[in-house]
Amino acid sequence: MAVMPALHIETLDVFIGAQPILSGVDLSIAAGERVALLGESGSGKSMTARATLGLLPPQARLSGRITVSGCDVTQAVALARPANARPAMVTQDTLAALNPLASIGYQLERPLLRRGRNRSEARAEALAILADVGLPEPRQIAARCSPELSGGQRQRVCIAIALACAAKVIIADEPTSALDVVTQAQVLKLLDRVTSVPGGPGLLFITHDLHAAAHLCDRTLVIETGHIVEAGSMQQVLTEPRHTYTRRLIASAASCGIACERLYA
Amino acid sequence: MHHLDRLIPALSRGVTLLAVMLLVGLLPWISGRDPAASILRARMGDQNPTPETLAAIREQLGLASGPWEHLTQWLGGLLRCDLGTSWISGTPVLPGIIQALGVSLTLMAAAFGVALLIAVLLCWPTMHRGLRGRDTRSSGAMAATLTAMPEFMLSALFLVVFAIWFGWFPPYGWQGPQHIVLPALALGLPGGGLLGRLLTNAIAATFHERWIATWAVAGFTRGEIARAVLRRSLPALMPQIGMIIVAMTGGAIAVEQVFSIPGLGRAVLGAASAQDLPALQAGILILLLNALMIGVVANLIRLALLGRALHMGALPVPQVHAVHASRRAWLVPCTVLLILLVLVAAGLPRDPFTSQFIRLQAPGLEAPLGADGLGRDVLARVAHGAVSTIGMALIVTLVSLVIGLGMGLMPRLALGPTEVTKATPPTIAALIVVAAMGPSATGAMIAVCAVAWAPLAAHTAALVSEVRAQPHVWLAPVLGVGPLRLIPRSILPAVFWPVLRHAMLRLPGNALALAALGFLGLGPRPPSSEWGLILADALPYVERAPLAVLTPVAALALMSVLGVSLASLARR
Amino acid sequence: MTFLSARDLTVSYPGPRRFLSRGPLSQVLKGVSLSLARGERVGLVGVSGSGKSTLLRCLLALEQVQGGQILCEGRPVEPGSVSALRWYRRLVQYVPQDPIASLEPRMTVAQLVTEPLLRLRVDCTPARRAEEALDSVGLDHRFLMRRPDELSGGQAQRVAIARAIATRPAFLLTDEPVSGLDMTVRAQVVQVLRDLSEAHGTGIVMVSHDISVVAALCHRALVMEAGRIVEDRPMADLLRDPQHPHTRDLLNAAPPMTAAA
Repeated sequence: MAVMPALHIETLDVFIGAQPILSGVDLSIAAGERVALLGESGSGKSMTARATLGLLPPQARLSGRITVSGCDVTQAVALARPANARPAMVTQDTLAALNPLASIGYQLERPLLRRGRNRSEARAEALAILADVGLPEPRQIAARCSPELSGGQRQRVCIAIALACAAKVIIADEPTSALDVVTQAQVLKLLDRVTSVPGGPGLLFITHDLHAAAHLCDRTLVIETGHIVEAGSMQQVLTEPRHTYTRRLIASAASCGIACERLYA
Repeated sequence: MHHLDRLIPALSRGVTLLAVMLLVGLLPWISGRDPAASILRARMGDQNPTPETLAAIREQLGLASGPWEHLTQWLGGLLRCDLGTSWISGTPVLPGIIQALGVSLTLMAAAFGVALLIAVLLCWPTMHRGLRGRDTRSSGAMAATLTAMPEFMLSALFLVVFAIWFGWFPPYGWQGPQHIVLPALALGLPGGGLLGRLLTNAIAATFHERWIATWAVAGFTRGEIARAVLRRSLPALMPQIGMIIVAMTGGAIAVEQVFSIPGLGRAVLGAASAQDLPALQAGILILLLNALMIGVVANLIRLALLGRALHMGALPVPQVHAVHASRRAWLVPCTVLLILLVLVAAGLPRDPFTSQFIRLQAPGLEAPLGADGLGRDVLARVAHGAVSTIGMALIVTLVSLVIGLGMGLMPRLALGPTEVTKATPPTIAALIVVAAMGPSATGAMIAVCAVAWAPLAAHTAALVSEVRAQPHVWLAPVLGVGPLRLIPRSILPAVFWPVLRHAMLRLPGNALALAALGFLGLGPRPPSSEWGLILADALPYVERAPLAVLTPVAALALMSVLGVSLASLARR
Repeated sequence: MTFLSARDLTVSYPGPRRFLSRGPLSQVLKGVSLSLARGERVGLVGVSGSGKSTLLRCLLALEQVQGGQILCEGRPVEPGSVSALRWYRRLVQYVPQDPIASLEPRMTVAQLVTEPLLRLRVDCTPARRAEEALDSVGLDHRFLMRRPDELSGGQAQRVAIARAIATRPAFLLTDEPVSGLDMTVRAQVVQVLRDLSEAHGTGIVMVSHDISVVAALCHRALVMEAGRIVEDRPMADLLRDPQHPHTRDLLNAAPPMTAAA
């Protein structure tokens, strides 16, 4: 093995009660690689994210193997994982993803303090990260609570926290679907930028939006009812889909006004 | 019009407070009692009142005036910190009340300490599990059981067990620290149970929020997460915590009575039974002020905890997803109901009123549970008591359901009355009712009704605003559905069943509240066989016939368990 | 021929409350004017907070305006009692964003679709008309006795459309009718709306933040920014040659579009 993958999932099965949610999911993301997981609601794509993050509902059972930076975390919940085996998380519901009573500055500085910075370094670096993710007046933003920010600003803060804890991989579960198109484009551009720097984190981008996925990712997996039905490079899957489900997704996008074949024209 | 709309909640609160002040101020007049006759009876025993002496006393106290002069006089006195002169002792009431208040506050502080300790112990396991990423949901059976035990019953139980049988603590009095233990426990345990249950649920719900995951992933320590969880959970609970403390003042009246503690509750109770209305007015006023203060302090703490998030409008409320009820969950309420039914079936054919046995006769074949202090059959009295207590509670529950639904449908207008009533323990309401119309079963029912509707109204109002915010309701005008038709179409169906279930869950609680009033002599009069009254009758003979005390205590405990187990079923 | 027009609409809300005082008013609509012809399909595009949903609520007579006027076939339209607005409700109906939450959960599909016919006193046999409406959105009689919680998102949105077209309105106002739906379901709903409009000549206003969905359905686009309409042109022109910078932002953010081809 030349390079250890940032995230590696092998034959992951998840059951809730007797109902299979995921069956035999295989997935591997190298550092700096960007992979899309495409599927519709109920296909199991969010459950994949939760399993990876160690946030499955308590009644769920899983088998298979999940390793993050080479560390086996299959059965470990998020709070029980070692610090270097925690993927960062960016979700659709940005209001819920941040503590509404703690200031943005506090939530950014803590992970930096954990990484050995002293107080003033942490403060300065937090402001630098806020500026880096494109938030104007970082000092003001740092003093605010999350309900005071707009959805787009909150999503940037979530990405800033992911950067602050220097995670090896970011799991982004529908990060743009609650935002309007202009903000969506900005957030996608930001995700693109932070993952394309040398030594940057890998990205698992979970979405139903073919267009957003095509913009951001090099490789894609298509998931239907808990099974990966197609995998390949983004361009290949969108322009020469093999599985009928993928074809249906692309045809639907076309009748909603999105021309997938022209994405690579 | 918009300005009036904005003012309605404030107006509603102001008008309610004014109405309560008027009610308390006019008590002597409402009661229709001749103060002169009361004073004469108190001061000169059974001497026959002549019209001349009565007139002289009236003149002397300035009581010859009508209700409005009386009211202005009383309110004027308030401004000068003069709460009037006792009809019984002829001395100003304020110094005595202040002294009693000091005793009561000490007791309440001790009881609150007990409650906090219990609450911390109860929510510790949930916090522990949450911080390790495990399921935070719990049945809360222990907390629920504590919550349901009424203070007067616990007092009687502790008196029997720890003061009489074991002799560890003095049974009554207020001389030293050892006197404070049993009353503080009796008062603090139920409050602590409720506090613990609320905290546990809130913490469990907070652990379901996604930011915990963000923080876990970002490497926050468990201590930091625990602190943030507490800070996130507490603000929404502060009003309820305030109410728990206020409820403790109501419970304190019974505890002070059982342990003969010279506190405010006992003073007020004494004033009520002696018809000393100035003392009663002063006591009720102080108790209400106390409730108001606690509410204000609780709200200030809430504001401090929220910090700048306060101005953000609605914060997301933590939600917890239900656990599926197991079939065995029905076992407890069914068993309890069966035991109560057997008790009633065994005792109902027997005679509860005739003294047919020797006083305090030991249990035997002809009297399975023995006889009480007057030689009456305990089994028969408890069984008949079950029928009358539960019957009264059923009436109270249905009446409060109707009032609660009606008030809840106009949430903004009903805001003031609901808030004030929610902060009033039934005992204080009963004191007002008793002052106005004397102790009776009807009076007790009115008193419990008068406060039992408020939680139902608050629940209804919350559901109504939730329903009104839903798209299918706000778009109804587009479909030609007007505001009046909306009530039977969407609002009542969404509100009625949950509120009915809530009301039925409160039935055992209402029964216990009625029993507490009976116990304090604010409800049905002897020889009625109401549960609280049976307990009060038996308490003086507790050393010689503990079974006569323990039987009604056991019946009340069964009632509590029934209420709790039903409530936990509905919660799922 | 103008069917529905609005002139200089202004709406403002009180800002967030400060301690002991009300915050400043924030203006959501700053003098919006538009006119809609019969049978037209118009897209109303803008980012969140641009005021497009508020404008829709004004056109539905659910919002009190501080200034301006709405006219429908020359008659003024303003919030009022059910009876005063019955004529307007028959002509202009609404398809909401969240289909499942917008259907009263205790009513069956049959009851839901007949309700506006009865309440708005439409002269017809309600049961027959309801079946016709459901038929035209592709739901057969097996759905009549279902309740909203037994429907999928796409089915619920079709019931909401059937309910809106049951009164045979001249115009449908739709607020993000597909944004909560999956791509395959989205396609079906857009198709249903297009078929209806072409078969009965029903005009449609579609509010959306996503210009690609609007482009797939509408002839004309209104672009809103910060409470104003900044661009009002035929769809094809707008796609080819956007004038306002904000329109260019919106177009840059959108995926390549089929309708432009």
